[in-house]
Amino acid sequence: MFKNLNVWFFLSLTISLFVLIPIITVFSSFFENTSDYYQILKETFLIEYILNSTILLFFVLLFTFLLGTGTAYLVSFYNFPLSNFFKWALILSFAVPPYIYAYSLTAFFENYGTAYTILKNLFGDNNYNQNIPKFDGMFGAILSITFSLYAYVYILARASFLYQSQNLIELGKNLGFTKFKSFFKIILPAARPAIVAGLSLVAMETLAEFGAVDFFSINTLTTGIYNSWIAFDDLAFANRLSFFLLLFIFTLFIIENFSRKNAKYHFNNKGGFKQKEKIILLGSKAFLAFIFCFFVFFMSFLFPLGQMLYWTIKFPENFFDLQVFNLLINTLHLVVLSSLVLIIFSLVSNYGNRVSNNKILNIFSTLSISGYAIPGVILAIAFISFIAWFDESIVKSFGLFSIKKIFIGSILGLILVYFIRFYSLAFNGIKSGYEKINISVDESSYLLGYSKRKTFMNIHIPFLRNSLLFIAILISLEIIRELPITLILRPFNFETFATTAYISASEDLLEAAAVPSLFLILIAALFIIITSKYILRDNDK
Amino acid sequence: MTNKNFFEINNVDFNVSGKTKVKNVSFSIENQGDVICLLGPSGIGKTTILRTIAGLEKINSGSIVLNGRTISSKKINIEPEDRNISLAFQDNSLFPHYTVEKNILLGAERNKENKDKKISLKEIVDLLDIFHILNKYPHQISAGEAQRASLARSLITQPDLLLLDEPLSNVDQSFKEEIQVRLKKILNKLKITTIIVTHDSYEAFYLGSKCGIILNQELKQFDDPYKVYHFPNSVEVVNFLNRGILIPAKVTGKNTLENWDLGTIEGNFIKEYPKGSNVQLLLQPEDLEHDDTSNLKLEVVDRKFRGTNFIYTLKTPSNTLIPVFVHSHHIHQHEVDEKFGIKRPIHIDHIVCF
Repeated sequence: MFKNLNVWFFLSLTISLFVLIPIITVFSSFFENTSDYYQILKETFLIEYILNSTILLFFVLLFTFLLGTGTAYLVSFYNFPLSNFFKWALILSFAVPPYIYAYSLTAFFENYGTAYTILKNLFGDNNYNQNIPKFDGMFGAILSITFSLYAYVYILARASFLYQSQNLIELGKNLGFTKFKSFFKIILPAARPAIVAGLSLVAMETLAEFGAVDFFSINTLTTGIYNSWIAFDDLAFANRLSFFLLLFIFTLFIIENFSRKNAKYHFNNKGGFKQKEKIILLGSKAFLAFIFCFFVFFMSFLFPLGQMLYWTIKFPENFFDLQVFNLLINTLHLVVLSSLVLIIFSLVSNYGNRVSNNKILNIFSTLSISGYAIPGVILAIAFISFIAWFDESIVKSFGLFSIKKIFIGSILGLILVYFIRFYSLAFNGIKSGYEKINISVDESSYLLGYSKRKTFMNIHIPFLRNSLLFIAILISLEIIRELPITLILRPFNFETFATTAYISASEDLLEAAAVPSLFLILIAALFIIITSKYILRDNDK
Repeated sequence: MTNKNFFEINNVDFNVSGKTKVKNVSFSIENQGDVICLLGPSGIGKTTILRTIAGLEKINSGSIVLNGRTISSKKINIEPEDRNISLAFQDNSLFPHYTVEKNILLGAERNKENKDKKISLKEIVDLLDIFHILNKYPHQISAGEAQRASLARSLITQPDLLLLDEPLSNVDQSFKEEIQVRLKKILNKLKITTIIVTHDSYEAFYLGSKCGIILNQELKQFDDPYKVYHFPNSVEVVNFLNRGILIPAKVTGKNTLENWDLGTIEGNFIKEYPKGSNVQLLLQPEDLEHDDTSNLKLEVVDRKFRGTNFIYTLKTPSNTLIPVFVHSHHIHQHEVDEKFGIKRPIHIDHIVCF
């Protein structure tokens, strides 16, 4: 059990244990006392929190399934006008976080908003406000999250459809199935594990969503956790609420992992795989396919981008008031530091796992990658709880200076929590790169006289170079969009595009939120375009 | 074993993942530059032996000694990178992100301080005929080419001990024999001590000055290829080599035996048996000669055309099936169910009995 213990083993174990801190903190909080807020909440809002979270989850899953699977099916099986463009354009929705989508939706449909202005310019003055639908509250939150997250389902469903062999399709024809029947009897069931994996990711993100639900004043478990900390200063209760939410999320995490393992069967392109030939759609069918994909692309990306651009142009003073350069430097500062730290430690951890091949380490590593399933709000609060406990119980008992200031409200603390949140992204990304390196490659290297360290530096790093770049960009994309951790843990007077947009919006200054939102969307979109080939696992040209 | 041997394995159990694959193995390589081959069926533990010698697996008993230095024992385990042993894996183990040339040059970096380098990249490339793939990446070449590139990388390191795991298993049959000739020449020239693992007995007999047969978790025989073939020391080795059958016989004299179906058989016993002993005689396909004028006639039940020869399977009156080689230019071809004459008296050079 303890064979192959070396410095790499201990480094990997330390990294895994560090990432597990929030989970341990949340679970241990179960035994702590809470304030009266717990009683008040139990008698008043707790049911509402759970009910709202459930309604939100149900409708977001339903809509993301319809949009994600529908668009993936069309671009995978058919050729129609701009189908190749939609193939990657549909993932641009990742550049628009739900909270920015929420601002756009409100800005467009609110009284005297953009829709009103358009109608007024087209048809002159009238009382249009009563005829313009209002997308706020629960419905607004559902739409914002759906259009921002459907791409998870789209990407995984498309990858599954892409690898479905022509043989499978021909089998359907051979059995005399219509296209409709083939879709429901063959294509959809074969892609089910991939779709379930996509939906599980959507579910986890939805339960973790803070910005959009907070903006629409929907009380969910996540906002409840935030409020119990901000408004009632009850960390123990925040952690207790987190515990229930985590149980829920871990169930989804297990389903997602299980589905992903099954999904691998559908990516097998060895032996008998025959590339599909896309069917060319003509006439009204081509038009309908185009309209559907364009609608989704427009609503998910062009609409929020256009709204933010419109406001930036309409209220240029906001652009000049905002210290864009400072925000850019702050954002890049976080992005570069976090990416570096994440990649270096994930590399070390992966290599430690590889050379130690130790069961205990494997268990800790598997547990530690669950960080991505934990909402940022919970991570931030659990981190604060842990530092407070560590400060009170350990540091002060040795008569040392308080360490709270070093970790809370500092760049270091922020990066550490980003590390926990996005560790799985970096770890899994590097792991899948490592899986392509046969273990005999390492052994060959040793036999050529290379030490473990030299093998790592001279053989592995050059091999993983492209993967590392891709992972760095993915991490950057996540950090640019990230809101709750940054909001809770950032140093005083340190703002990013995301926090500036949130603060302006929460002060009802939506026009002022437009400029940072626009920059955020543009930078994120740029990163998505750079990495689209990898995201789509695209080999079909 | 003496300390004069260049390489020694003394009473080693070879394990992988806690399971013993081959027990209590001992053999030695006397001189630097000798080539030995280990033969055995798939999954028997041949690769485990090579991995252990290379230092990739540890041992709990016995010792492995290279050039007077113990490199593996229960207490000593020199790291693979410090052994100067090279192992060419059966499967492609080229570095996937480097070209074939870069892969080979990485091998050349080892022992680069060795000024009297005896082989250059060009020589290796010519030897293994891999010039056309030098600028390609491992995923762009065939399995056979990858195997040759891997072999080149191992050879150029000029290790103290070279371990080759089924080195030519993916090489085309038409090219295999030529590569075997070239490989033998280069190993002789460079005086690289080599252990080759293979399941191809012809390859082992050609390349190795000694052959080890591994069966049922044991090294059954370790000897010259000629002796392994003609004087197998156990029924298991006979069955593994699949080059003959065992028939019952009775020792009737110093140089004779009697078989119920074939009559008297003459020859030189490699081991003495008392007169009247009942034994199992090893009868190899080349031991019997065809003679249609003979009165010993057996029924043909099968005939295999093997290019240079036919292998007839004959049925004796007691229903024993006997293989017989006949030159393929032989004008008398016998069909199935026909009678086939065997020259008498039957004479076998080496009589092997169990």
